[in-house]
Amino acid sequence: MKQEVLKNWDLPMVSVAALLIFVICFAAYTYWTFKATNKKVYEEASNIPLGDANLASPSNKGNVV
Amino acid sequence: MSSPHVNVPSSNRRLETFTYDDHIVKLFVIATIVWGAVAILLGVTIAFQLAEWRVNMGIPWTTFGRLRPLHTNAAIFAFCGNAIFAGIYYSHQRLLKARLFNDMLSKIHFWGWQGIIVLAAITLPMGFTTGKEYAELEWPIDILITLIWVIFAVNFFGTIIRRRERHIYVAIWFYIATIITVAVLHIVNSFEIPVTLTKSYSLYSGVQDALVQWWYGHNAVAFFLTTPFLGLMYYFIPKAANRPVYSYRLSIIHFWSLVFIYIWAGPHHLLYTTLPEWAQTLGMVFSVMLWMPSWGGMINGLLTLRGVWDKVRTEPGLRFMATALTFYGMSTFEGPLLSIKSVNSIAHFTDWIPGHVHAGTIGWNYMLIAGVLFYLVPKLWNAEIYSKKLANTQFWLATIGILFYIVSMWIAGISQSLMWRAMDDAGRLMYPNFIETVIKIVPMYWLRAIGGTFVLISFFIMIYNMIKTARSGKKGEEVVYEAYALDDTSLEPNAPTHRKLEGWPVIFSILSFLAIFVGSAIEIIPSVISDKYITKIDAIKPYTPLELYGRDVYVREGCYTCHSQTVRPLSHEVLRYGKPSHASEFVYDHPFQWGSKRTGPDLARVGKKYPHMWHYKHFWDPREVTAGSIMPRYTWLFDGKIDYKTLPKKLQVMQKLGVPYTDEEVQNSVANAKAQAQGIADELALSGVPAKIVEMDVVALISYMQRLGSDYATVPDDTPELATPAVDEETPVEAAVEEAQ
Repeated sequence: MKQEVLKNWDLPMVSVAALLIFVICFAAYTYWTFKATNKKVYEEASNIPLGDANLASPSNKGNVV
Repeated sequence: MSSPHVNVPSSNRRLETFTYDDHIVKLFVIATIVWGAVAILLGVTIAFQLAEWRVNMGIPWTTFGRLRPLHTNAAIFAFCGNAIFAGIYYSHQRLLKARLFNDMLSKIHFWGWQGIIVLAAITLPMGFTTGKEYAELEWPIDILITLIWVIFAVNFFGTIIRRRERHIYVAIWFYIATIITVAVLHIVNSFEIPVTLTKSYSLYSGVQDALVQWWYGHNAVAFFLTTPFLGLMYYFIPKAANRPVYSYRLSIIHFWSLVFIYIWAGPHHLLYTTLPEWAQTLGMVFSVMLWMPSWGGMINGLLTLRGVWDKVRTEPGLRFMATALTFYGMSTFEGPLLSIKSVNSIAHFTDWIPGHVHAGTIGWNYMLIAGVLFYLVPKLWNAEIYSKKLANTQFWLATIGILFYIVSMWIAGISQSLMWRAMDDAGRLMYPNFIETVIKIVPMYWLRAIGGTFVLISFFIMIYNMIKTARSGKKGEEVVYEAYALDDTSLEPNAPTHRKLEGWPVIFSILSFLAIFVGSAIEIIPSVISDKYITKIDAIKPYTPLELYGRDVYVREGCYTCHSQTVRPLSHEVLRYGKPSHASEFVYDHPFQWGSKRTGPDLARVGKKYPHMWHYKHFWDPREVTAGSIMPRYTWLFDGKIDYKTLPKKLQVMQKLGVPYTDEEVQNSVANAKAQAQGIADELALSGVPAKIVEMDVVALISYMQRLGSDYATVPDDTPELATPAVDEETPVEAAVEEAQ
């Protein structure tokens, strides 16, 4: 049964469907990501690697949690 | 410069102190440098072997066919692998403000990975190989790789669980995609049935094996040499430039598009083969689409440097990183171009492809690794870079070396391809003798080897610079950091969806898996499960026991690194080799041996083309029958004895894989093999070859060579099971077939 189904699987249809799903998802998340109201939040996120953890104060030194 | 929640009033939050595990990062840095030198030294060695065959040294384990897999594995998994782990472990801790999950797991990860590399360095030169490119390691090592990768994953995701930063930064997305996808690729491609501790046969055969292998092979490039390095880029370039990434929003588009599209592109390695046409087209289309996210990432990286270009001139780390991005842009433009079928018909199997690959591995990976090391080593060893002048020398030597490499391979590839396809007015090949096209490009092989030597020297300069830098470092106390524990104050209920997603690593990982699963499933599952693409023809029989043994010798010696076994339906190939290949020819090939490069001619139709004595002489010294050949001598095939006792087990494993050997054939395999060997030895004896040759490996290999294509030659063209192979409409294949016959 499984073999029969796969033999007759219209593969171009499946791949075209996958492509369409990708294009729709791409358009949607591009829209949501580039919405003007979201700009500030993402600008803050881009600073994560620059925001290193602070050095512990001398009194905390060695007191690892 | 800090994440939003850090500014929440601290009275309600718990301040924690912690340290980072930088010792493990140091170990991976040292391993990167050591294995990098080994990988490049191996590359230069095999480059000289192609320019001058005597550099093979006449020893089995120093021959091109065995060293080339060692070079690729060393470059990808030893050099780049250790660099990835160093960079990930350094950045992961800092981006999450947490020490690695478990120090013991980190150590097991490090020493386990080095153990795998050492095992590869021992087994590959000994000829223990699966014969599948970039996945040559045999099954016990495959299992070890899986275990160590799982330990890495546990350590990685465990650190995420213990994080003090709510949002996982873009670099970590790329690390997640890497860990998930490499695991899937490695496991699916490594399904094999063991024969002995050092020998196994692939679960897949022929076309199916080719599809799975190049799904793996291409995505090893994608998810081992690209996504983790993009993650490193997103961390180390902002850190080195002290500027945030140019566009975080672009990085979101970049990430999701790249991981979704990349996984589909594998079939572009199999254009014009017997792979189903729809899979080839998918591979080509998605490869072209890949250009978009690749350049999105490159642009994002380069524009991060806006305003600090003066630092690129003065800071070695930034200079290497900027150059790496430039090469990344170049190779990700070239890749889609090469995937277009008409371009691929010219470039495939030529030296253009290694040129393209090295634009990536040297230009992108080596340069980015150098940039990361110039950032990491001074930080880890608490020192200043020993000599920026030496770094400058290294940079220019490496850049000139890469350019030598790429340009020489462009010239070699295009020259050879044009010679392969050149026809006169009567439609005959202008260079019917393959060796003519080899001799023509040998000067380019010398140039390539010189370019590689430049790169090697540049690497040794870096090693010296790094050692001097580390030695000048001052020992300090372990640094203790403090950060607030992760709590509800960092939740952002009104944040955009993706921002929320960045705080949900489990859902993020599942979505990443789905992104790579869709393309994999659609391309692979139907092809592997369905028998639609593996039409069996009665005339195509399984290999005899001796031929099967000879095939194993072929795989052991890495013949596939220089010879293909598939005739594309292009007129010049049909004229040169014979009928285009058909999927039914490969149904008993575990693994497939189509190859990816034609340093020597295709062998799909070599069966019965020459007498046994021709092959005998050819393996003893190729120049005895082909003047100007650059193939090494295989004199040990004349001393190594056929291990007949392994044959029943080999046939039994093949039975399990679906090859229709009868139990009687298994029982009589030794006697049948000895009888066939005797027949070959008797014919060789007529030319004065001693009778003892009957016991030697060379006889088995000759039997295999004589079998190649000989079954298919007996199949009439009007056999109903033969579907017409994919044909370029402008290519007069039928006329060429008639001509060839």
